[in-house]
Order: sequence, then structure tokens, then C-alpha cells
Amino acid sequence: MKDVETRPKKYEGVLILAIFLATLPLIIGFSLLIISSFSKDMVTNFDFKSFHLTIENWINVFRGKLAITGGVKVNMAKIVLNTLIVALGVSGLVTLVSVMSGYALSRMDFRGRKWVIVSLMLLHAFPGVALIVGVYLLYRISFPQGQDWVRVYSFIYVIFARAALEVPMSVWLMKGFFDTIPWEFEWSGIIDGASRITVWRKIMLPLIKPGILAVALFSFLAGWQDIIYVRTFLIDQTLATFIEANIEAEYTHMPLIAAAGTLYLLPTIIFFLTAQQILLRGYSGGIKG
Amino acid sequence: MKNEKLRDLSFFLFPMVFMVVLFYLIPLVLTVYISFTGMRNWNVDKYLHQVVGLYNYERLIHMFKYDPTFKAVILTTIVFVLITLIINVFGGLGLALGTFFMSEKPASAFRLLWLLPRMSPIAVYSLVWYYFFHGSSIGTLNSVLMKLGVINQPIPWGQIVPWGAWSVIIFVNGLVGVSFGMIVFTSALNQIPKELVIAARVDGASAWEISRRILLPLMKWHFLYVLTWQFLSLLTTYPHLFLLVEWDLVDRDYGTTLALYVFNTAFGRGEQDQGLAAAAAVILSILGIIGGFVTLKVLQFEKMIKKPRGDL
Repeated sequence: MKDVETRPKKYEGVLILAIFLATLPLIIGFSLLIISSFSKDMVTNFDFKSFHLTIENWINVFRGKLAITGGVKVNMAKIVLNTLIVALGVSGLVTLVSVMSGYALSRMDFRGRKWVIVSLMLLHAFPGVALIVGVYLLYRISFPQGQDWVRVYSFIYVIFARAALEVPMSVWLMKGFFDTIPWEFEWSGIIDGASRITVWRKIMLPLIKPGILAVALFSFLAGWQDIIYVRTFLIDQTLATFIEANIEAEYTHMPLIAAAGTLYLLPTIIFFLTAQQILLRGYSGGIKG
Repeated sequence: MKNEKLRDLSFFLFPMVFMVVLFYLIPLVLTVYISFTGMRNWNVDKYLHQVVGLYNYERLIHMFKYDPTFKAVILTTIVFVLITLIINVFGGLGLALGTFFMSEKPASAFRLLWLLPRMSPIAVYSLVWYYFFHGSSIGTLNSVLMKLGVINQPIPWGQIVPWGAWSVIIFVNGLVGVSFGMIVFTSALNQIPKELVIAARVDGASAWEISRRILLPLMKWHFLYVLTWQFLSLLTTYPHLFLLVEWDLVDRDYGTTLALYVFNTAFGRGEQDQGLAAAAAVILSILGIIGGFVTLKVLQFEKMIKKPRGDL
């Protein structure tokens, strides 16, 4: 709202204060975690006497040295890489699938179109995560025989299964982006004798770049943050399962887990700072046609 | 011409149909099938063909009657879904209205901040609340209250049953869901003609009167949408609860909803009982599917779907 002249100014301060107070636990929680990652001891209890600035935790995270004493070591680069593979895989797959079916649902008329769109809404309302028992049985049945392939297969399967959860929402979002493009662009292409596939690839895709970016970003975050599917299907460890496994382990140095958590939070922070408009718009996408 | 269209359609729709069939339809059939077998510990070779009929469903009913642990799970599901739903809907509405009456800068800053729970990795988000509600003196909440002199001893919040555990899981999930309502209501508010608000302001209406008489009546559809949608999500999602329970921050029985129960029974520590888990999953799925259909009918989504302007 930009109607500055008629806006009563006197309550704005109260309003900001009220919402700020409601936001306070969120701000405190995240800040303390990030501060602790730079401290010798956790400072979650506001005891700043125990805060001693150090980047040791971060160095140890990258070295994979879990405890201050003893030789518990993990290959952190590998864990980050695994997380990245899953996130990029999910993002790529979801973007491809939704950019294709989004176009068809927005631009092509066929029998059962309405039915497909409605079922997509239903699938989105009914998250596949409830079906994980069946998804896992399928995984077990389709397991490859050779030992070498098992780990590769677990990556492929986790990417496909996790991507499937994002597909209904993303197709819906992408359909919304295609809907906003004037028909004349497409007609001119078809009159010139191009096929639908050519029109889609050469004319439509460049026009919906912002939509592609939004879907890719959201599905990246979805794959990046997943814990349930990664934990159930993936043989290798990701940042999520690393944190999950180490929080109660006796030998773990907690500020190091805080550093690992902050590292895990980095893409979120980067998107926060760079892609605010996409984030605010994207989450509202798919809500109204 | 007809063939060409069919070819194009199958090209564009194949990937989606493939994903949906492979990861929604087949698993649904498999889950229903497992619920009729005695599958345990993922011993597929031994149990896959051992059909036990309705035994798992009978066990669920029996547990519902006599097992205090399972009763706690059902009770937790009901309380969790209802209260979190109220927080999600009204919290989202409050945030949307609050930021609506604010200058643009603080408004978008707040909106972005409230996306944080949704965007941050579940493990990190849970880690934050693990420390916040920790039952010892390292817990943030305990230390604040002790410094203020409200309490003398640290309180193990999540272990106080039932309301301590319920409060923690409702709080943690409530924050995630609020952003959904906030975004939907904000976009609804932006679609309302600004002249209506300006005219009311000129006539001297307060923010409260504007909200109650102009904005809220225009947001009825969105209100129903958020309500039903969040209801379905809360019924079936569990990743945030999973870690809180696993890390013993909250009580195992009163921190577990039916959806989490399905997951832990099938994949958790100790003896796993996939037959029973699948039966519970089937019941959840039926609830979800009914809820989804009711949502679609009530909100009349079909009317929103416009026909494409057509091919040449």
C-alpha cells in the first residue's frame, strides 16, 4: 500500500514492535546458533562470558575433525558434495518435468485436461511423504544386484523420489507462469510453420526464465534441506543426516555442530540476500491461476 | 494433424505422468498391499507373499482401545493438528494484516524473516529449537527465565506430558506454517482495490474497522483455502517432529503424531513393523484423499481452471 497521505502514522510503531516481539524467538534462536559456531563453547544460554571468538570450529568442520580430542574424523567435503548432488539433482529434474508439463497444461486443450489439473492439486494436498512405506518397498524390489551400483542407485532413487514430492506444486507454479504469456507470441510461431515443440523451446522458454529460476530455486532448497528421504534411501551421508547422527554422540564438540549447521544454512542465507523478490513471489505462486 | 497433437502431448506430459505413476500410484498400491501382509524388519523375501488379511487393522483397533502409548499418539495428533491449524491461520492472518498497515520496508523485512523457518534446512531449524527448549540450563528459554528470576530450576519443557511436549511441537511447527497463511493473505490483500481502503481512511475509519468491515469479508475464499490446505498438511507431515522426538527433546509418546508413528514404526530403531505402519498409512491416506476432495468441492477450484485459447 502506497497511500502514504492517508495512513495513520501513530500506530505504526506499536505494530512494528508487536510483530518484532513475536519474531524475537526466531531471531534469537538463529543468531545464537550462528554466534556459537564462532565460539569455543555454546552460548545458547546468553552466558557471553563463555564466548571466546575463534574460527577453530570452522577449520575443524572442513577438516572433518569431530571431537577436540581423539581421532573421530569424517570426510566433510564428501558430505557437502553428497548434499549438493541430491539438491542439484532434485532441482534439475523438477525444473525439467514442470517446464514440460506446465506448458502442456497451460497451452494445449485435450480431453481430461481439467481432470489432470485437479488431480495435481489433490496430489499436492496429499503429500507423498505419507506413502514412504510403499516408496521404500519399490526401492527394495528394484535394487540392483552388483555391489558397485547400489550406492549410485541410492542417489538416483533418492533424487527421483524426492523430486516427485515437488512435482505437483512446481507444475502448477509453472503453468501459472505460462498463463501470463500472450498467445500472440505462440500463434506467430505456429503460423510460420514451427511445431509445438519448437515453439516451446525457442519462443516460450526464453520468455519464462524468471519462472524457471523460481522453480529451480525452490526445488534446490527442497532437495538441500530434506532429511526423511535422504535418511531412508541414501546410503551415503548428507549434512542433514550428519547433524542428525551427531547431536547426541558423546564425543561431539557442540560448537562444531553449530558450525556445520551454519554451513548447512548458507544457501538459505545466500538466497535470502540475493533472491528476495523471487522468494516472496514464488511461495505465493500456484495459489491463484 | 490429430497424430501430431497426440505426439506433442505425450512428449510434454510423459515425464510428469512417469513420476506420478512411479512415486504416487504404485507406492499407494504397494502400501495397501503391505498393510495386508505381516511384513517386519523389511524382510521382503520372507513376508512379501504372506498375506494376513485384516490382521494389522484389527491390531490398530485393539491398540486404540487398550494401548496407552497408541492412545497418546492419537490424542497428540488431534490436539496438534487443531491447535497448530489455529495458530497457522490466525498467525498468518495477523502477520499479513500487520504488515499491510506498515511502511513497505519493515513490512517486507518481516515477511522475509517469517519465511526463514520454511526455507532453512529441517536439521538446522530443529537444532535451533533443540537449544531453545533444552531442558537443562544451556537451554535458551530456561536461562532467560532463570535470569529474570521467574524460575529457580531449569524446566525440561518437552518432557512435561502432555502439555509441555505439545506446546513445543505446536510452537515449532506453528512457525513453519504461519508463513503459508501470511503469503496467501498478503497476495489476497494486494488484489483488493486500493480505492476501497483509501476511501475508508479518508472517512476516518481505523485500521481495525477497515480490516473487519472491508478486508476480511473480501478474503473469505483465501481463509477457507489456507484452513483446509494447512489441515491436510498438518495431518500428513512429520519431518520436523521426527528430529525433536529422536533427540529426546520432547516426550516420545506425546510428541508423536500418527504420521510420525507410521514412519517410526516402519523405519525407526528397534523392531520394525511395516505391516502395521502400512495399515496406519492407509488410514491416513484415506483421510487425506477425502479431505482433498472436500477441499476441491468447497473451494470450487475447477471453476478457476480456464480453457486455453486454443490451437490454430
